[in-house]
Amino acid sequence: MNKKVGLKNVTKTFDLYAKNSDKILNLLSIKKDGNKQFMALRDINFKVYEGETIGIIGLNGSGKSTVSNILAGVLQPSGGEVYIDGVSSLIAISAGLNNNLTGLDNIELKCIMHGLSKEEVEKVKPDIIDFADIGDYIHQPVKDYSSGMRSRLGFAISVHTDPDILIIDEALSVGDSTFTQKCLLKMDEFKKQGKTIFFISHSASQMKSFCEKVIWMHYGQIKEFGNADGVLKNYTEFTKWFNALPEAGKKKYKAEMFGEQIREMQHHKKQRGGNFVSKMVKGTLVVVPVVIMGILLLTNGL
Amino acid sequence: MLKSVRQVIREQIDNKELIIRMAAFELKGSYQIHYLGSFWQFLNPAIQIGIYWFVFGLGIRGGAPIDGTPFFLWLLAGLVPWFFIAPSIIQGANSVHQKIGIVSKMNFPISLLPTIRIVSSTPQFIVMLIILFLVSFIYGITPSLYTLQIIYYTFAMYVFLIAFALIASTISTLVRDFQLLLQSMMRMLFYLTPILWSTDLIVKKLGDFGRLLENILRLNPLYYIVQGFRDSVLGKAWFFEDLIYMGYFWIVTFALLYFGSVLHLKFRKDFMDYL
Repeated sequence: MNKKVGLKNVTKTFDLYAKNSDKILNLLSIKKDGNKQFMALRDINFKVYEGETIGIIGLNGSGKSTVSNILAGVLQPSGGEVYIDGVSSLIAISAGLNNNLTGLDNIELKCIMHGLSKEEVEKVKPDIIDFADIGDYIHQPVKDYSSGMRSRLGFAISVHTDPDILIIDEALSVGDSTFTQKCLLKMDEFKKQGKTIFFISHSASQMKSFCEKVIWMHYGQIKEFGNADGVLKNYTEFTKWFNALPEAGKKKYKAEMFGEQIREMQHHKKQRGGNFVSKMVKGTLVVVPVVIMGILLLTNGL
Repeated sequence: MLKSVRQVIREQIDNKELIIRMAAFELKGSYQIHYLGSFWQFLNPAIQIGIYWFVFGLGIRGGAPIDGTPFFLWLLAGLVPWFFIAPSIIQGANSVHQKIGIVSKMNFPISLLPTIRIVSSTPQFIVMLIILFLVSFIYGITPSLYTLQIIYYTFAMYVFLIAFALIASTISTLVRDFQLLLQSMMRMLFYLTPILWSTDLIVKKLGDFGRLLENILRLNPLYYIVQGFRDSVLGKAWFFEDLIYMGYFWIVTFALLYFGSVLHLKFRKDFMDYL
């Protein structure tokens, strides 16, 4: 089996700034120390092969969406390596629909943004309309849609742009059971074509019926990665144990875990001297003619 | 040293069809909810021109001609490119921040966003240009060889705007204050470019010092474009008559394109972190 996706020592940190002005100082690489970082992902490693369906489960704030955003290429990891073979497509609720345009226009717009040609768009259009199944609303502006209609349209467009890797982030929780059933059938079809699917949810039951393997995210780390049944059983046990804790105990546990994810900012960026100098030289080379011409222009006609 | 510039230009050229189609959708989206639809593209600037004509053409200046050209026509020849430039700069700078949430989820070159924004104002610009020619015809100015220069100046305007919007949209995404600064700057430049008055006035009044002041105002590349439009429509001068100014304009444009490409490519993968 071919490796489709691989994450090696991937970390993602978000900088926490005490003052707004620290942000710009950091951007200009003037001030680097003294600020804090939140480690949304800590040392994530996993490999996924062709045709596998992977569930990602975890509590709120455990890093599920950060992983899905990194897989989709929306966010860049702060460290480590991401290997993705093929085009990935993220399906989140009403991802990127233009509210003023009609459903039909949105289909066309999203398809051309995905790089489909005019003929290809015309070919998949009827399939998308059929799959979304929202009747005459397809001719109405998206701003008049219900949240269910939006996610149906978004989902329909995304699955028809022929991605190699499909990332579904909670998108199915909005649709009713008939639509969910339809989506699950479609995803089975994808599975048979050897496509890789990531399924992010905190519903253990949906995941059990659909995924072969499950990643359990826990406060920025992978707690378990393995066969769906085993991991989901442990996860359910954990949530039971957690829910049984007294209020104070829950708070204490969360604060402890959260505290582990905060650390002092350390930038490992090495200032490569040669590169810096060559950049400065190039910059000067561009600026000098501007200054010369500016002076010529200023003294013109005097 | 031109690697980044080349990459950005190639992205634009390889996706020219995509740019035009997305610009069409952008236009459609922004006018769909209005009853008068895309008619507003023409109505909005027409109302503004009407006000300027009423106040400055008839009222304050009493319609006194500049250099033998009726004031309203002289004003219109500057206003038409300005009505294209000002919104292109402001909205072009905002385009990345506005659209990044949509396009980052797909394999789409972000450097196209400012260009799409600028291209989508093109139909309005063409309508305005036609009005300009009609008005100049009414005032008895027939098209001449000079008029053809408008092709050159339109090209210069597009290249400058795309280069400027590329760097401005990058900075404006990283530092949101830049967008507000830009809006104030454009309001100021409307008077300093100058659209409403002729810099000949200060030269006449202040002599050599006035000439220096005029040259300082000419450092603004928008002055070059607006002046060029006036020269073409009114048949005053050829674009190769002032080679120093022409050289200055293109070198500034190239510098903007260079720094814009370098900055854009350096930060574009991290844009989402700055939202």
